[in-house]
Amino acid sequence: MPADRYANFVFFPADLAEEVDLPLELKKEILWTQARLGELDHWSLLGVRWNASGDDVRAAYLEKVKVFHPDRHGGRRLGSYRTRIERIFRALTTARDVLSDEARRGEYARRTAPPEQFARLEAQRLEVEARAGERRARLARSNPLVARATRVQELVARGKQALEEGRFAQAANDLLTAAGLDPRHPEARTLAERARRGAGAERARELYEQAMAAEVVGHRAGALAALREAAALDPASPRYAVAASRAALEAGLQDEARTLAEQAVHAAPREARAYEALGAALHASGAPREARRALERALELDPDLGTARALLRKLRWSFLG
Amino acid sequence: MSASGEGPVIGIDLGTTNSAVAAVVEGVPRVIPNRSGQLLTPSVLAVARNGKRLVGQIAKRQAITNAENTVFAAKRLIGRRWGSREVEDARKVLPYPLVAGPEANDVRVRMGDRVWSVPEISALVLGELKADAEAFFGQPVTRAVVTVPAYFNDGQRQATKDAGRIAGLEVMRIINEPTSAALAYGFGRSIEDKVVVFDLGGGTFDVSILDIARSVYDVVAVGGDTYLGGEDFDRRVMDWLVFGFAQEHGGADLRSDTMALQRLKDAAEKAKCELSAVAATSVHLPFLLGGGEGRPALHLERQLRRDKLEELTRDLVARCIAVTKRTLDDAGVRPAQVGEVILVGGMSRMPLVQQAVREFFGREPSRGVHPEEVVALGAAIQAHALAHPEQGASEVLLLDVTPQHLGLMVAGGYFQTVIPRNTTVPTSATHVFTTSHDDQTSVRIAVLQGVSEKAGDNELLGEFVLHGIRPARRGEVAIEVAFEISADGILGVSAKDLVTGQLQSITVTATSGLTEEELRRIMDENVDDLLERKQARGELERRRATAEQLAAEIEALVPAVTTALARSHFGKDAVVKAQAVVQRVHAAIEAGDASQLPALEEQLERTLQLFRGLAGGGGRPA
Repeated sequence: MPADRYANFVFFPADLAEEVDLPLELKKEILWTQARLGELDHWSLLGVRWNASGDDVRAAYLEKVKVFHPDRHGGRRLGSYRTRIERIFRALTTARDVLSDEARRGEYARRTAPPEQFARLEAQRLEVEARAGERRARLARSNPLVARATRVQELVARGKQALEEGRFAQAANDLLTAAGLDPRHPEARTLAERARRGAGAERARELYEQAMAAEVVGHRAGALAALREAAALDPASPRYAVAASRAALEAGLQDEARTLAEQAVHAAPREARAYEALGAALHASGAPREARRALERALELDPDLGTARALLRKLRWSFLG
Repeated sequence: MSASGEGPVIGIDLGTTNSAVAAVVEGVPRVIPNRSGQLLTPSVLAVARNGKRLVGQIAKRQAITNAENTVFAAKRLIGRRWGSREVEDARKVLPYPLVAGPEANDVRVRMGDRVWSVPEISALVLGELKADAEAFFGQPVTRAVVTVPAYFNDGQRQATKDAGRIAGLEVMRIINEPTSAALAYGFGRSIEDKVVVFDLGGGTFDVSILDIARSVYDVVAVGGDTYLGGEDFDRRVMDWLVFGFAQEHGGADLRSDTMALQRLKDAAEKAKCELSAVAATSVHLPFLLGGGEGRPALHLERQLRRDKLEELTRDLVARCIAVTKRTLDDAGVRPAQVGEVILVGGMSRMPLVQQAVREFFGREPSRGVHPEEVVALGAAIQAHALAHPEQGASEVLLLDVTPQHLGLMVAGGYFQTVIPRNTTVPTSATHVFTTSHDDQTSVRIAVLQGVSEKAGDNELLGEFVLHGIRPARRGEVAIEVAFEISADGILGVSAKDLVTGQLQSITVTATSGLTEEELRRIMDENVDDLLERKQARGELERRRATAEQLAAEIEALVPAVTTALARSHFGKDAVVKAQAVVQRVHAAIEAGDASQLPALEEQLERTLQLFRGLAGGGGRPA
């Protein structure tokens, strides 16, 4: 056996010729082992099969250190072989330390598993995981507390998914339910708020479109109602408030028109149409000075606003007259 | 090294109070008796009034009358730094004077007319044991294994090694006392088990866990408490006696009288030992304290029962068990997994200690070893194994561990562990760290040993400076520090700049307080001393030969002279006087006293002249 073992290994003549009190066979063993320290895994260094038991590892270690410990060669000339032996001893001890510690051994065994073993282990691991999932599900069904937690988790996950896909109404519904079930859930409430806002904006857009359609067919009262609701649902967007203000003015409700226009200005202080609407509302409610200031501001932001310009000219005239 | 491979090897237990030497004789370890026939030699030495050095029992006997020049418990001081807590504590209780070393970093002892380093003191004890072994074997002994407590740090081990060198011994290995005890326990038994050594001595508590299999003694973990031992038990008894005495005698304080305190201490120790065998004992100290101002002296007379002693010391025993538990946790071993518990040290005789051990481990502690001899026997076994490795696989192999963390000081004065405690030696480890200032060109590497997170609380083993670092922003230069411990327990440290390859290394040795130079000087002195003694012996031989020859001639002439005198007017006086002189010569030769011989020689020669004249004259036919 040993002859085969060293077959592909080149010994340096100088190493073998060094005058030390060690038999040639042991010198070869030391040189060969030391040279292979980097490539051997812990199992092969100790000479045990992959995933050998802790007891086997210890037994192998004890046999090896009886050869590879400097004390076993006390009183002999060792020369450079002393360091070589110590290096091998250290590697053996490291191997023993890893492989006799149950936790480290399992991890190391997985990493160093031969391919077919690896496949088997992997299959085993997946099976174990699947079984664990099943167990969780069963538990969820039987235990109300666990069931609730699972339900909250599911709702939040579904709500998030809907939120990402832009289905705000659905998301808001799920997330609000989740927040209701578990008021201390870290995400549910904030996500629900976001979904609710998203859903509001969506609904407002729908109402706006309905209102435009209603106006076309001359159903002014319906249009005003839809726009009013849209402005309330999505107060951040000035578009609905401006439209609602215009519709209210047309219906002769100057005060409401003014409130809505003010809401639009408040939501978007740099929106020319908001000031235009405010100017119109103020004009209608008999406050020409404020109306003029609002219209001037509107033209300042957007000089192309025809209605504002016309209205302003009219106001100037009335002022002069 | 030239002597290696020849002669017997010995194991020495260099104890705080007693020492012992052992050797493997015909395959069996045995304790070597000293020249007075005792197995234990007190670790006491003294310089007598006539300047003679005394070691062992003879030194101990004269201790009371010559307290300032008698040194004991030197083990407490060995390898310690001047100014450390241990040394300050020792100064308060030791009757002999301590002084700082020349570098003010180690402790020296003033004894007789000179100052001694602690290794020199220990060397005298080692030398005595060496001489005992030489007398036993009838040939020189030059190699030994010496034991130290497991908690001893590198400096203390190094100082012990130096003591061996001074005594003319090559210390093959320093091994831990509990490990040594386990070796002796395992001798001749085939053990495949986890073994706990519970060593409660006079000053310290040591616990070691070993995994023994196939003659390999694998130390898994060591632990202990440097301030927990028999003396703490004595102090509890003393305090109880002092308090009781004060109550009885209206507040008389025994602690103010050092003489009374010394007597009390002895009595407390004696009572404690007695209570290991009997259930009650009495402390009887008459005339303990002078009454003063004409009142009668005060006596102490008290009963101490074993249950009272146990009540007084229960927490100390609990501390032992707590340390044991912690060490087992370190090793990841449960008490139920332990196969044997070996009790070592005099304090382990206390029934309460044995009971606590029994309860903790759930098993009867082993009584198979003699607690005072077992350590020396183990050392002898290890010495034999190191000297005769060729005897095959049946010989023992010891795998010991580092008792404390080894590491470096890092920025902020913190301690960075490089080799954690309970690591099997030989071993090596590296730690990479970076510079802490911009354009730093050198870095100081301080090598420390201990268990504290703060570097300053740990023992400084050595330091060196790595120069020639490439200037760079802080944190950009990586320096690798490598620690390596050889099988002999010698620590080597090297530091390398990973970019430039600049390398600096030290072997951590010079920590015993004695510099190499000083050590050489002491050893030279010893050689001189030895030569002187040899010369003296030669001189003695020569004089003895002359004196014996002269005496023989005189004795041969006595009959002739007697007849001659009978016929003369001289009295018989001369013959009687001559015979007295011859007698004195024989006595002087017997005692080996060379100083008396020159004077006697002269008397002999004159007597011979006279006798020759008389015999010649008398013999001549008249």
